[in-house]
Amino acid sequence: MSIPTLQGLQTALSGLVAEQTALDTTGNNIANANTEGYSRETALMEPNPPIPIPAISAQTGEGAQLGAGVTVATITRIRNVYLDSQYRAQNSSLGAATTDAEILERAQAAFNEPSTAGIATQLSKFWSAWNSLAESPSSEPAKEVVIAAGKQLATTFNELSSQLSTFATQAGEEYNALTGPSGEVEDYANQLAQLNGQIKLAEEAGQPPNDMLDRRDLLLDKLSGLASVTVTEEPNHTDTVTFGEAAKPLVEGTTVNWPQTLTESSGGRLGALIQLTGPNGALTALQQGLDEVAGTLSSTVNGHLTKAFFSGGTAATLAVAVEAGEVQASATGAAGANEAARAIAALRGGAAEQQYAGLVEQVGSAVRSAQDDKANLQTTVTAISNQRQSVSGVSLDEEMTNLITYQRGYQASARTLTAMSEMLETLIEHTGVVGL
Amino acid sequence: MSERITPAMVTSTTLSDLNSSLAALERTTNELSSGNTILEPSDNPYGASQVINLQSQLEGISSYESEAQNGISWESTASSALTNIGEVTQRVRELLVEGANGTYNKNDLETMALQVEQLTEGVKQDANTQYAGQYVFSGTATTTAPYEDGPNDEYKGNNETVSRAVGPSASVTITTNVSTLLGSGEAAEDGKLLDTLRTIAKNMRAGTEGQAALGTTDLQKLDGNIETLTQLQAISGSATDQLRTALTRNEQLQTTITAALANIDATNIPAASVQYANEQAAYEAALRAGATIVQESLLNFLQ
Repeated sequence: MSIPTLQGLQTALSGLVAEQTALDTTGNNIANANTEGYSRETALMEPNPPIPIPAISAQTGEGAQLGAGVTVATITRIRNVYLDSQYRAQNSSLGAATTDAEILERAQAAFNEPSTAGIATQLSKFWSAWNSLAESPSSEPAKEVVIAAGKQLATTFNELSSQLSTFATQAGEEYNALTGPSGEVEDYANQLAQLNGQIKLAEEAGQPPNDMLDRRDLLLDKLSGLASVTVTEEPNHTDTVTFGEAAKPLVEGTTVNWPQTLTESSGGRLGALIQLTGPNGALTALQQGLDEVAGTLSSTVNGHLTKAFFSGGTAATLAVAVEAGEVQASATGAAGANEAARAIAALRGGAAEQQYAGLVEQVGSAVRSAQDDKANLQTTVTAISNQRQSVSGVSLDEEMTNLITYQRGYQASARTLTAMSEMLETLIEHTGVVGL
Repeated sequence: MSERITPAMVTSTTLSDLNSSLAALERTTNELSSGNTILEPSDNPYGASQVINLQSQLEGISSYESEAQNGISWESTASSALTNIGEVTQRVRELLVEGANGTYNKNDLETMALQVEQLTEGVKQDANTQYAGQYVFSGTATTTAPYEDGPNDEYKGNNETVSRAVGPSASVTITTNVSTLLGSGEAAEDGKLLDTLRTIAKNMRAGTEGQAALGTTDLQKLDGNIETLTQLQAISGSATDQLRTALTRNEQLQTTITAALANIDATNIPAASVQYANEQAAYEAALRAGATIVQESLLNFLQ
């Protein structure tokens, strides 16, 4: 039975190396404490295979195993894959809700209600102008006022309509920019495919590429804001990524399948952009509602007159069709008759105004529910993000504690080495030297 | 609460808390400075549509008030013209009674006839009274004088009526149809006031036969005309009453709607001020906590 003479040195050395690796890992964690998408890493230490010592006991003849130090088995990143998929699912919904809220808030601002400049006020002024005309039916100034109020009203309709269609156009342009050549989707997909290739090679070489894995996860997080993302990890460590409702996976190994067609149920920002401007979308509904108000206004006013006051039956085309001299307070043509003016003034609070008030309520409700959705999802995403941070985030307090632990470990290993060295010195320098 | 807390978590939570505190503070500031709780439809969608309806109604009420005022002025112009006509008619009646008692000679009667003719012109001028450039007694032909000066007594107006809207479905007729009183003169032989006056003047010049008619048929006709005048005055007075009632009703409605609008949209200043103070305190506390907590770590204590 024997123990290799220099085994103690080897054991102490393995301690030094392992502690140093752990110290370096801790240092790396501290350095990356504020890096986006970084998962904290830890050096997994394992005991070395022991040295068997047969028949160590002279009495019983039983053997034993002598520990042979430590080795760093791997440096692993600490991450919960389940939280990742949860985060991405909620982040897609958040992307959609944020887009809805953003665009609908713009539409709401365009309505400019309640204010002294919106359509509601213009309508009210228009009715008042007819009231004044009814007081003095043949007065030229009163007719001018009716024309001016009518034109102002028509212009406000035209402007709001054009603003709403601009928002729809902008949404379409944004969709094209995101999905087009060298848009964000393609950019992310290319990076993912490239990382897939590199990760596969590194894993095959038995070196877990922690930083590349982190980068891939970060890209997937970002992609999930654009549309829903499902990630399947293949046995060869590449990720297959399905995107939105696209027919083929966006990324499969090192292959990118893009461009593809997305639908309005794709989720994320892209799905919301398709949905808002689609035939059942909120922007389309607002535009149609506004057209309806303009149509009602035009037909109810014109219905009381023999010469149409408004031309154009949609919000975009509404215009005043008569000159001041042609404004009729009455169908009879008598100078003092005012029945038409009174009838038009009595349209105040009527169908057009009710429809418009309903439309304002509609845009308000749409914005409110989008904002509520956004706030709720934001809370959820923040909660999941915090859970992820709790698992993967770098805690400086913890790293400082580890730093001390590993530093002390290193110092102790060095002390062991010194002890071994002194022991060997006794053997080498003093053994066999007697009586000199 | 998570098991491990990292500085990044504390930072992001602190930041989002600060943001929401500040957002609440900004909201209350806006409500206080604008005086309204509905700044955008999304603040209260149904309330916003109510505000639109109520504001329009309020604006409508001031239009109706303006129309009622206008109608009242119109009626008061018409009514003073009718009063003048009444006075003139009384004067003619006195002359008629004097002329009928037979003590005046031909010259005296000629003078009386001239006076009656002058008074007739006066009646026609009163009938041509205008309000704001519009003839009040012409029906809807408000740019046409109902009678022209001189011997032609034909009524030039029409029998249509002018109305003023005083509510969403309420209107008051302000036209006094003066032709039912004055008629179209001698040529029409309608027995109306102008016909009567012309006949009286003619009879005054016609000697004894005429004198006989003065005290009998003429006086009867004139009294009949005076009765018609009284009826017209009553109609005009009742229109004025209706307009005044409408004005009062609109003023009351205005108060009610203004109160309703305030209920929906107006900031409750005391409550908002208290809320503002609370939110400001919360924001300051969040700032103070953020500034001190996030700075601490084990590093501060390691030697």
